[in-house]
Parts: sequence; C-alpha cells; structure tokens
Amino acid sequence: MKSTKFTPARKLSKEEIDRKWWEIGDYFRRNSLWMLMYCTGCCAIELPPAMTSAYDMERLGMGPMATPRQADILLISGYLSVKSLRRVIYTYEQMSEPKYVVGLGSCPINGGIYHDSHAVINQLDQYIPVDTYVSGCMPNTESVMNGFVDLMEQIKNKTAKGWIKYKENNEWYKSNQMAALGEVIIHDEFHE
Amino acid sequence: MMNSMSNIEYVKGLIEKGFKVLETDVIDQYQVSFVVKQADVLQVLVTLKNAGWKQMSYLSAIDWPDETKIEMVYILMNWERAVHVQIRSKIDRNDPVMPSIITVYPGAKYYERECHEFFGVKFPGNPDYEKQLILEMWDDMPPLRKDFDPQAYSDRKFTKREYNQDYKILSEDNKLKEKREARKERAQSLKGGPKA
Repeated sequence: MKSTKFTPARKLSKEEIDRKWWEIGDYFRRNSLWMLMYCTGCCAIELPPAMTSAYDMERLGMGPMATPRQADILLISGYLSVKSLRRVIYTYEQMSEPKYVVGLGSCPINGGIYHDSHAVINQLDQYIPVDTYVSGCMPNTESVMNGFVDLMEQIKNKTAKGWIKYKENNEWYKSNQMAALGEVIIHDEFHE
Repeated sequence: MMNSMSNIEYVKGLIEKGFKVLETDVIDQYQVSFVVKQADVLQVLVTLKNAGWKQMSYLSAIDWPDETKIEMVYILMNWERAVHVQIRSKIDRNDPVMPSIITVYPGAKYYERECHEFFGVKFPGNPDYEKQLILEMWDDMPPLRKDFDPQAYSDRKFTKREYNQDYKILSEDNKLKEKREARKERAQSLKGGPKA
C-alpha cells in the first residue's frame, strides 16, 4: 500500500549543496564588489569619474578597497612594466578567493602604444588570468562601467573563472612569468 | 630685485674666469649651458655650489654614438638668482667613467645609479652606483643607448598577441563596381531613360 505521507525531498549530494551555496554566494558577491585599483597606467584617470558622482560606481555596489586581502577585483589600469608586474603577481596571489581581474585599456591586451618598449609587457593574460578587458586607449568612462557590468554578468553566468584557471594551470602561468621576469621574487633595497 | 640678464653675466664671469670653457650657450634669460672638460666638472660644481647653486635639479647623459661619446649633463638651480646652469662634458663611450659628485651634491646618488643603469656610465666614488634601481635583473646592454633595439628586446622577451585577419582585400577587377553600374542603368531604364 502506498504511503499517503508527504515524501521528503531527495537528499542532495555534496556537490549540489556546494553549487547552491556558491550560487547564493555569487549573488551577494556580485552585488557587493570591492576593487583594488593598481593605477600605474594612464587609464587610471578614468576612475575618478567612474567612482564619483558622475558615473557613481557605488550604484553597482562597487567600492574601492585599499588592501588586496579584502578585495574581490584587481583592476589593472593601463600599461604594466616588468617591475610592476612582479608587484601585481604578489598582490594577486595575496588576494582571497574568489578573485577577478579587470584589465583596462589596450596596453594589457596587446601592449598598446608601448608594444615595442623594453620595459612594458605585452599580454597580461600570459601572467595572470584576466576576466574582463576594457579596450580603448583610453576607454571612456561608459565603457569602464560597462566592463564592470560585464564582470557581474560573468559572475552570474559562472564564467568568471580566472582564479580557478590560475590554480589549474599554475605551472603554465609560472613558466610564462619566469620567461619574462627571470624571477618573481622582489629584490630591492626596501625589501632586504 | 636682480636683473635676469645680469645673473647670466654673473655666472658666465664666474665660470669662464676660472675654467677653460669649450663652449658657452645662453639658451634664454633663465638658462645657460657650459661645456667643460671632464677633469674640471667637479671643481666647476663646487664653485657653483659655493656661489649659491645649491639645488642639483638633474643629472643625466646623452648618447652620441657617431662621435663615440657620452655627454654628461648636470643641471643646477639657484633660488637667489633665477638661472638654471647646465654643465656638460663629453666622456668616452666605450669605457664611460665619471667621478661621482655625491661629495658635493649628496642627492646625486640616485641619479648616478639611474644613469649607470640606462647608459652604463661608471661612477667611482659612489659606493652603490652598481646597485639596481629601476630596471630589475636587466640582462642586456644599457637600454637608453642609441644602438639598443627595444623592439627586438620586446619581441624576444614578451609574448605577443596574435590576431586573425578577419577582413579580405577586394579583387583588382572590381566586380562590385560593374554590378553597381548595371543596377543604375536598369533603374534608369525603368524610369524611362536617362534624365535630360
């Protein structure tokens, strides 16, 4: 005889529970992004209007953060010299997961106007994974804001997986870093 | 209030009286440049510092590969007499050695380190002129020398992004143009012949 009692829901597997928690986490995370800005390039001039009342990043739930440990996004604005790439790798590895990288301007994409410089790297995604690029030299503030919205969409669609790629392909990234930098460890008189 | 031209005259008198000046160039009323011999540089700087040129604004070098010379440039500023003085001196390019001036201007320490990195000039007297300052773990010739090829270095060192060519060049015999002409004629014939 069939029971008339209410059948309890099927017990979820660990992966399914994890996935649900991640979805909940991503929902809250994408609406409250804290951004660490690595402003060594000239594209950084687009950030004050993006942050302040003109475009007001905060209506997207984004805020600036001063330290890598509490930030979700690492924003690379403009060209990266070999010297600052070492610091960027340090910073990126210090950030807690999940972490996302936004590259601003054409220099992180293909070197931009510094493609033939002895000091500037040409492709940022060879060294750290980049989730969103905002192209342009320099991009206007609308496209910067669009880039942030794109990143939120990517988090929603679970395609912002740069940090997982970095873990999975760590050897490939490390070998690229070694080829360009020689050594990632920073040796200067202020660290000795 | 001192007249700016008399400031130029003052510094010209000061340098040209005491040292053998190879070339003097009054650039404008606030700038004057002297080319002196390498052996005189330190003494010229001491004289100028005693006369009030207390601020060393800049120290750098210029590469002249055709003459196989490197020209050192020291720019000094006096806040009492508003004149920038440039002291220039050409040294050998193949083995560039310039005595350090940190005994006169201690702030030159970092300029000399920079100059050593970018031009390969040696500065005996500066205890750590060979330490790296801006370039880290540099493995090539000094990069601001004229015969350094930054494009080749960049190609060798950094990966380049490769792009697919997503457009195609139209053929020489431009069929589209013929088609356009034919379409125009057809349209006119429908309207009843070309317009008068």
